[in-house]
Amino acid sequence: MSKREKKVKAVPIWLGILVFILAVIVGAASKVFIKPAWAKQYAIQWSDEIGTRKTDLDYGEGAANKFDLYLPKDNTHASYGLVVYLHAGGFTSGDKAGDKEMLSWLCSKGYVAAGINYTLRTDVNSASVLSQSNEIKAAIPIVIEEAEKAGYHIDKLTMAGGSAGHCLAMIYTYRDGAQAPVPVVLTFGAVGPSCFYQEDWGIYGLDQNDEACAGMFSVMAGVEITAQEIQDKTYLEKVKPIAAAEWVSSNPVPSVVAYGTCDKVQPYLGSLRLKAALEENNVDFQYFELPHSGHGLQNDDTVNRQWMEAIETYLERYMPVR
Amino acid sequence: MSIEAKRIIVIAALVVIGFVLGRLAVRAFMNMLLGGMLFGGNFL
Repeated sequence: MSKREKKVKAVPIWLGILVFILAVIVGAASKVFIKPAWAKQYAIQWSDEIGTRKTDLDYGEGAANKFDLYLPKDNTHASYGLVVYLHAGGFTSGDKAGDKEMLSWLCSKGYVAAGINYTLRTDVNSASVLSQSNEIKAAIPIVIEEAEKAGYHIDKLTMAGGSAGHCLAMIYTYRDGAQAPVPVVLTFGAVGPSCFYQEDWGIYGLDQNDEACAGMFSVMAGVEITAQEIQDKTYLEKVKPIAAAEWVSSNPVPSVVAYGTCDKVQPYLGSLRLKAALEENNVDFQYFELPHSGHGLQNDDTVNRQWMEAIETYLERYMPVR
Repeated sequence: MSIEAKRIIVIAALVVIGFVLGRLAVRAFMNMLLGGMLFGGNFL
């Protein structure tokens, strides 16, 4: 018998291929479904042991103007901190239900937590980041009122979110926070766009020109911006209402943020402007940069963990459960 | 080396290589959508 024949006999080719394909599938599935052990503590499954959940409460006339309220089981405190967590989805998709585990975790720590929906941009409506930020602004007093009705006196507010939700949380914190019904004491989140400079946003489609940029910024800002305004930089005033970093000085609230250096969805360069604004205004902040990750913060578990631990630390520092 | 030992070694090698490539494939796909580097940071 030749050597070649012996090898084939050791592992038949069909068996080798089958084993390899199965191993690839198991490897891929392990990457998708198995989360790091440390992350599990922040993704709590809701149960009545945690508290009470009120869903789809109205805060406006729009079909999307709904919020969920998570009330902790211990209702004996004189006052509570409220954490509003706004969902991700590129301003065009997503739902508060997607943050159920995060909201459950916050509630399990003793906070009143709320997830707020906002009118998403579609092909047939004119919703924008500006209109969404105004919806959130309108929702906050009603969320607080609802918590008060349930017997939870709210005395502090933390605004948080992921991606688009982080953007809206920052806008509320820095732009509107000074007029909030209760003091906004903290904001945290990840990968939210905080400013809109043409030179940062190399992400507006294949046509990297002023018209394409004007089109994208017009949609986001909810106002008409022309290519000429892009050229002469007057667009900056028009995007200011949705540029959270430009408002830090109005309400310099402690902040914990995380950004991926390789982000393809929102510009990393913009996050550096936010960091500079936080430094200039002497904000107590933590800025986490994930050097191998993009918009999902998916490749840097060590930094991701540090970011979540910093959130816990800042929550305990600025909104302790009493 | 017996043929059984050879079989185990070859299959084990295929399992390890396949597992690693499966994880890398997911990472590459996620990086394509969201941005990110293929190596560095997390193990695989």
